[in-house]
Amino acid sequence: MTASAPVVRPEGGAGQDPLPRRAVAALRAGIRNGQALRWTGAVGAVIPALALAFVLVVLVIKGWPAFRIDGWSFFSSKAWSQGNQYALKPEIKNGYELPPGAAYGALPLIVGTLATSLIALIIAVPVSVGTALAIVERLPRRLAYAVGLFLEVLAGMPSVIIGLFGAVTLGPIVAHDIAPYVARNVPDVPVLSYFAGKTGSGYGLLTSGLVLSLMVIPIIAATTRDLVRQVPILPREGALALGMSDAQTARRVTLPWVGAGIVGSVVLGLGRALGETIAVAMVCGASFGSFPSNLYDTMITAAAAIVLTLEAALTDATGYALSVLAEIGLVLMVITLLTNIGARLLVRRVSSTALPVGAGI
Amino acid sequence: MTTPASGSQTISETGSSLMAPLFALWGPAYHSQFSQVTLSTASSSSGVGISSAAAGTTNIGASDAYLSPADMAKYTTLENIPLAVAALMVVYNLPSVPASTNLKLNGTVLAKIYSGKITKWNDPAITALNPGVTLPSASIVLVHRADSSGSTFLFTSYMNAQDPTDWSSSLIGTTVAWPKQPGEIGATGSGGIVSSVKTTPDSISYVGVSYLSKVTAAKEGEAAVGNASGSFVLPNTATIDAALSAFTSTPANEAISLINGSGAQAYPIINYEYAIVNTSQSSTTLAQDLQAFLYWAVTSGTTQLASVNFQPLPASVVTLSEAQIAKISG
Repeated sequence: MTASAPVVRPEGGAGQDPLPRRAVAALRAGIRNGQALRWTGAVGAVIPALALAFVLVVLVIKGWPAFRIDGWSFFSSKAWSQGNQYALKPEIKNGYELPPGAAYGALPLIVGTLATSLIALIIAVPVSVGTALAIVERLPRRLAYAVGLFLEVLAGMPSVIIGLFGAVTLGPIVAHDIAPYVARNVPDVPVLSYFAGKTGSGYGLLTSGLVLSLMVIPIIAATTRDLVRQVPILPREGALALGMSDAQTARRVTLPWVGAGIVGSVVLGLGRALGETIAVAMVCGASFGSFPSNLYDTMITAAAAIVLTLEAALTDATGYALSVLAEIGLVLMVITLLTNIGARLLVRRVSSTALPVGAGI
Repeated sequence: MTTPASGSQTISETGSSLMAPLFALWGPAYHSQFSQVTLSTASSSSGVGISSAAAGTTNIGASDAYLSPADMAKYTTLENIPLAVAALMVVYNLPSVPASTNLKLNGTVLAKIYSGKITKWNDPAITALNPGVTLPSASIVLVHRADSSGSTFLFTSYMNAQDPTDWSSSLIGTTVAWPKQPGEIGATGSGGIVSSVKTTPDSISYVGVSYLSKVTAAKEGEAAVGNASGSFVLPNTATIDAALSAFTSTPANEAISLINGSGAQAYPIINYEYAIVNTSQSSTTLAQDLQAFLYWAVTSGTTQLASVNFQPLPASVVTLSEAQIAKISG
């Protein structure tokens, strides 16, 4: 037989099972000896990493022209202009085309994102911890169950519904009842001047923060509830036996016991607040290119900016606007990443002080 | 090209919320005449209309703004076909001023208002235009579109045409850098403009004439707008026609601004409502069905225009539109 002679392979011939049956048999054997599980596990472990890398690479590639055009000043600029779309010729800067007059800066978006999330946490943390303690220690079993159920429903609520509630109900309440009352009654002190001034229309920083707090509360409260449940009964009974009140027990024993966990849950909530898009887009007032002048002024966040300007960006024939949005997406990812790293460091610090129960008594 | 193919076909449309009420009327009317064709229409914004037509995700992109030279250069097979003539209203919410009083505002005052040089309703520049009207001392709340909007393009074009110093040409577009004003509101869609103005006392904004009935129902005021010859006019058949007659030479690609036309009674903010269509379609039947619908829109479809306060195209422009429709092929 010469080397060039065709090699005849039996294809499901006599004496051999047809291909599908062989495949099934191989699969069965794989499942039995654990091969299949090992492979699924390996693929499952790699996919999230690949997805993250893919997103990063795409954002960097798409955002590169914008970075070449604006450089680092993108992060310190307040500008927001799509430029003259009807100009006859695009401008050329550092080798990339852009519409004449187009300029973008991320600083107001970063400030807006951090400010709304901060407001959300200031409201959500005390409320959530209080709710968790009440559910575990105070409320009758049935009521506690009902409140817990409400929390879980609220956590699973699509954010667009909360945005709708914010735009239709909460916004007007803020505009007509809360904001004018607060603005009238704040003392004339430098820092508090941020609470005074024009109370606006209900769209803006405060409403966005309140809407975000509604989304963050169930996350922090549900996690804290589960943590508080795991605090052993003995230290708490001991505190009571020492004559501590319920409040003192909570403050001196229960909360220190779960401190690291609460920090973790707050970071989970913060992650949600930083990236929340549609609800904020519905109530922020979509004011680009500036910082809010007070607590009630309209503003914009990074995530809301992307969703509100994507369609406009797609009409920019030079592609500059779209590139800017990719860059903003990257900024948002970096903010979230930094928060997570910061949180991990914080959790490590908090949890390294083992069992701080009774500190300061 | 006047009748659709016999097979069943769905033609998709998205874009301009100003034009959406018209497509909502056209869809059922066309379907009752040619039952094999169904129109699926969506109200978004002119920017979405243009970008969806460019991306090929919709058959007809509706836009109040024509394609920019850059878009035309980038998407060589896209064309903008005028289907009707529309106008843009300037609306406001001033509870103390009766709705029967149409405040007089011109491009200079509006440019100063939107650039923050005029901040109060009783500013001397506004009271000078409106003798006998008592205006409140309240701050003006600016409402503008947050999405990529043809209305914004028309409104900013008008301010620039009348006052290029206070409103520079770099501030013309479907999305512009609005100079920051305290409390300003970015609203989504024409409907969003009407509801934001309704719920915000002392606000001012702009919205297409197809929303006139909603503006009236919301008890909002409609401004008489200053034109190039200095008179103040409301948009109606006579004033829009007067403005149209000032523009006699629409180019073959029909990309033309109809802002600030001359004539004593000309309404200064009018425009062609465009269908943005790709001339190279995926199949000959789809091309035929698109041609038939667009041809119907500029001929028989004009009976629906009055309900949304639009006007039919002048005969010479219908001819140009038909020439562009004829270019669509499969």
